[in-house]
Amino acid sequence: MTTTRPIATARMYRRCLGAHLRAALEYEADFWILVVASIMMQATGVIFLGAVFARIPTLAGWTLAEVVLIYSLVVIAEGVGSLCFEGTWYLPWMVNQGDLDYTLVRPYPVVLQTMSGAVGLNGVGNLLTGGLLMAWSLSRVDVDWSPLRIALAVALFLSAVLIKLSVTLASTSACFWVFGASFMLPTALHQVGELAKYPVSVYSAGIRVALTVVIPFAFVSFYPAAAVLGHGQDSWVGLLTPLVAGYCVVVAGAVFRRGLRRYESSGN
Amino acid sequence: MPAATMAVMPVIEARELTKVFRRPDKSEGLRGSLRHLVTRRYTTTSAVDHVSLSIEPGEAVAYVGPNGAGKSTTVKLLSGILVPTSGEVVVGGIVPHRDRIANARQVGVLFGQRTQLWWDLPVRESLALLRDMYGIGPADYRAQLARFDEVLELGELLPVTARKLSLGQRMRADLAAALLHRPGIVYLDEPTIGLDIAVKDRVRDFLRRLVADGTTLILTTHDLGDIEDVCRRIAIIDGGRIIYDGGLDGVKDTFARERCMHVRLTTDVDPQSVAALLPDAEVTPGGSPGEFTIRFDRFVLTAGQVIATASSLAEIDDLLIDEPAIEDVVRKVYSGELELEPAEDGVGAGVGA
Ligand SMILES: Nc1ncnc2c1ncn2[C@@H]1O[C@H](COP(=O)(O)OP(=O)(O)O)[C@@H](O)[C@H]1O
Ligand SMILES: [Mg+2]
Repeated sequence: MTTTRPIATARMYRRCLGAHLRAALEYEADFWILVVASIMMQATGVIFLGAVFARIPTLAGWTLAEVVLIYSLVVIAEGVGSLCFEGTWYLPWMVNQGDLDYTLVRPYPVVLQTMSGAVGLNGVGNLLTGGLLMAWSLSRVDVDWSPLRIALAVALFLSAVLIKLSVTLASTSACFWVFGASFMLPTALHQVGELAKYPVSVYSAGIRVALTVVIPFAFVSFYPAAAVLGHGQDSWVGLLTPLVAGYCVVVAGAVFRRGLRRYESSGN
Repeated sequence: MPAATMAVMPVIEARELTKVFRRPDKSEGLRGSLRHLVTRRYTTTSAVDHVSLSIEPGEAVAYVGPNGAGKSTTVKLLSGILVPTSGEVVVGGIVPHRDRIANARQVGVLFGQRTQLWWDLPVRESLALLRDMYGIGPADYRAQLARFDEVLELGELLPVTARKLSLGQRMRADLAAALLHRPGIVYLDEPTIGLDIAVKDRVRDFLRRLVADGTTLILTTHDLGDIEDVCRRIAIIDGGRIIYDGGLDGVKDTFARERCMHVRLTTDVDPQSVAALLPDAEVTPGGSPGEFTIRFDRFVLTAGQVIATASSLAEIDDLLIDEPAIEDVVRKVYSGELELEPAEDGVGAGVGA
């Protein structure tokens, strides 16, 4: 384990992704349709938020600008997932078809070959929307941007993305145990993740606990946002985001590796 | 260590390798599915059943058997794609399914039924991705491309998107992909399936060179030409079990029991009377009077007995015994006609060698 290993691994990941990006860009018409469609999808949520805040000044103690930060974090995490790790979503299909065979005889981690196996161009739309929302929000919130706080924000937001990716990987890895219906599970979980676009404090205690400890979607957006904004008690929980991210990455990796041992390829 | 056992260490060693697949035992329709939710019954298949193989460096082994015999599953076990249900496998000192990355560097794998090329990318890009994964240097890479171009005419395929390749072109590109990193151990699972004669010849020629260069090869094929051209050892698997493992010639002795003798007698003799004297043989009349074809099992009758019987009826003018062909044996293996019990005196020739 030399220090060059992670760098080489990351570089190889970029190579795989780049190759698929070029292939995906060949369908230029598709590109624009995907980008526009994803912007429209994210915009509907923002319009809804605007309508809500036209009637009430704050939501569970959060202003519009603050809620938009939470919202943008989920949109950005999804965007990164689509653009750079879209292959994760294809895992159940690959396992079912026996398409992991060749990845198992190449000297590069199977999980990274899988995750880099596709590029979702709709991620570009998400990143554009999410970026704009975040910029708008940060220009409006009352935060003292010391270098330390900037570093904290970057660390927390990166951890948030890792959590989202890990949950996706762990849920798609269910396909190693259950067949057929396993295609539904990641999508269902993704829908649950949409709850984290709003302050989890608006939900009942049960849902709040579920989003914090069972499937920590609240750490994708709410808690890191609270920490960066210095938003009361929740901001202290938000500082745990990197720890939660580490935990999620380890668990997702272990689930995947466990599953891979059960991989049965396919009879022709 | 005694000198005798120091000879050559096997590079591929499988001991009692077994893979059991479990399939949900569902009856048709919704009711069946619902019942399965509760009872969870499964049917199990031993695709590979206590298979032991020991292959020395540089050996080329044909791995043969009817459809569903367990050939592909064996290759997947040897290459670490599948984790065995029981038994052991060691390849080049590595347990393939435990240390996949190290194993990947020493083996090359091709499944003729499926491609490893990236579907939407030109062949050149797929190969470049593999080059980077294996960390192949630029000079070595160029040399390899030149070599593949010479034998497989790879050059013309490089700019083509994998999805647009014909089957034969795809197989050539896939061979290049599997062998790019100069693996010392190569598993090819039906590399000539569906190819036309010209491409097949080219692939075989390529395989011969590969073996001549000292590569250890396991070749699964339906094509008899591939076997005789490339391999000297053959392992036959049926129902997940190895039923023969040994020299190509030994197969004939072990399994080709039927002999076919063409006899021409100096005078016309009624075929019925020949058949009456040889109840265990099958006698068919030949093209002209006095000509017969006699088929017999060489473990029931000897050629001498048949000749003696024929010459007791009239003087033998001419005699021809068909050489049993490896083709016939393998064809029978594939059609599932082979008698599983090899005859007693054939056993020593191969099984367990
Ligand atoms: N992934 C799998 N899941 C379930 N059964 C399988 C699987 N792969 C192979 N089998 C079964 O195992 C047996 C051997 O298959 P295989 O190794 O593909 O045979 P061959 O390559 O000799 O045609 C067959 O009965 C096949 O249906
Ligand atoms: Mg097969």
